[in-house]
Amino acid sequence: VRCQLSPPHRALQGSAVLRRVSDEQKEPLASSQQQFDSHPTTHQPEQEPQGPRPSYTGQGGQESEDYESEEQLQHRILTAALEFVPEHGWTAEAIAEGAKTLGLSAAAAGMFHSDGSELILHFVSQCNTKLSELLEQEQKLVQLGEAEKKPTDQFLRDAVQARLRMLIPYIEKWPQALSILLLPHNIPSSLNLLTSMIDDIWHYAGDQSTDFNWYTRRAVLTGIYNTTELVMMQDSSPDFEDTWRFLENRVADAMNMGNTANQVQSTGEAVVQGLMGAAVTVSNAEPSRAVR
Amino acid sequence: VPAGGVSLRRCSTRKGLEGLNRPVIDRIIRVDHAGEYGANRIYAGQMAVLGRSSVGPVIQQMWNQEKDHLKKFNELMVAYRVRPTVLLPFWNVAGFVLGAGSALLGKKGAMACTVAVEESISDHYNSQIRTLMEEDPEKYKELLQVIKQFRDDEREHHDIGLEHDAEAAPAYSVLKTAIQLGCKAAIFLSERI
Repeated sequence: VRCQLSPPHRALQGSAVLRRVSDEQKEPLASSQQQFDSHPTTHQPEQEPQGPRPSYTGQGGQESEDYESEEQLQHRILTAALEFVPEHGWTAEAIAEGAKTLGLSAAAAGMFHSDGSELILHFVSQCNTKLSELLEQEQKLVQLGEAEKKPTDQFLRDAVQARLRMLIPYIEKWPQALSILLLPHNIPSSLNLLTSMIDDIWHYAGDQSTDFNWYTRRAVLTGIYNTTELVMMQDSSPDFEDTWRFLENRVADAMNMGNTANQVQSTGEAVVQGLMGAAVTVSNAEPSRAVR
Repeated sequence: VPAGGVSLRRCSTRKGLEGLNRPVIDRIIRVDHAGEYGANRIYAGQMAVLGRSSVGPVIQQMWNQEKDHLKKFNELMVAYRVRPTVLLPFWNVAGFVLGAGSALLGKKGAMACTVAVEESISDHYNSQIRTLMEEDPEKYKELLQVIKQFRDDEREHHDIGLEHDAEAAPAYSVLKTAIQLGCKAAIFLSERI
């Protein structure tokens, strides 16, 4: 795969002279000869993929001024790769294309798993961060009195919709991403991202429960989010209006569920009181009958 | 063969709580909340049986203090965004059963239960205070203050229990050991689940 992606690599199979010339006129990698060539004059016959070394050497063998950690570099590559996802899917090809736009060798895709897991997790993490920032800003506006506090059901609807809308540019390839997120080695990370997103939404919705409701609320919202996401995959209506209507109905159901639970509890309490009253009445009636 | 697994930093969205040792704080608040909740239920159980007896007012007063403790931990739980333990419904029932059961052994039985539980709790608070002091006394000043205050309250309850002839309860040492074992298990589970 890597061979196909890096034409200059193939060019290196040719003669040294040809290589020197082609290197001067390198097309996509012309901008920086960092990872590919440590010296303009000497060439390696085999280009090893540069492993996860954080510092690069520029053309004079100088250390790059703005030292960047490996993690930051990986984030940059993955962010750049997102642009190519609609075309290549969540694959190493997209990562390689992203690396190339940053002026790196396509071989940089070798830093990541070949199934595109990190790209998807990076995207999800980015979306969650955007959502948190959005909710934080909305909260600030409400605190400053510049906006009305939304009722819970509307807040949840808007938050879920805002988060799902971030998938729209990648919607064609999202089913693929969902199935990759369900792979056993990805489940801890994807579950972690999902639960912290849901917790964030409830936090900004003003949830202050400290009893078992904490769990039921989050479980319910997770269910709403996941089912709405699946509906969105199948939706072909203009601007996904069917999906938003589905979301509205599910949130309304959830609100009703809360009310129903309360009603069941009050009914239960009333029944218990009725039975206690009946028991007291019967026990009072007994002695008087014995007297007669 | 691609290089080994890449670990992506999970973006923490818990702004304002930066710089805190999240796992430690989470555990402390979760288990303390569970503890105060359980203590509440224990006293409720004792009151259900002994509410109209001579020790009723004493138990009621200790219960009121536990209610205040629980209220404080509810606030801390929301402020630090800690999740409650899943076992709360279980502690609800278990606490009440323990309180009522010990009260059925008589007033001294109830006091013995109080002594056992309060001793466990104050030891537990002490080790938390040690942990937080080792971490950073300045950063956790507010939390330390709360825990120290509550530890003093629980010690007071323990002493009240002793004053009311807890040690004269039937099978006192067996009862105390059994209850304290239960407390240790409850603490272990609530910290994690």
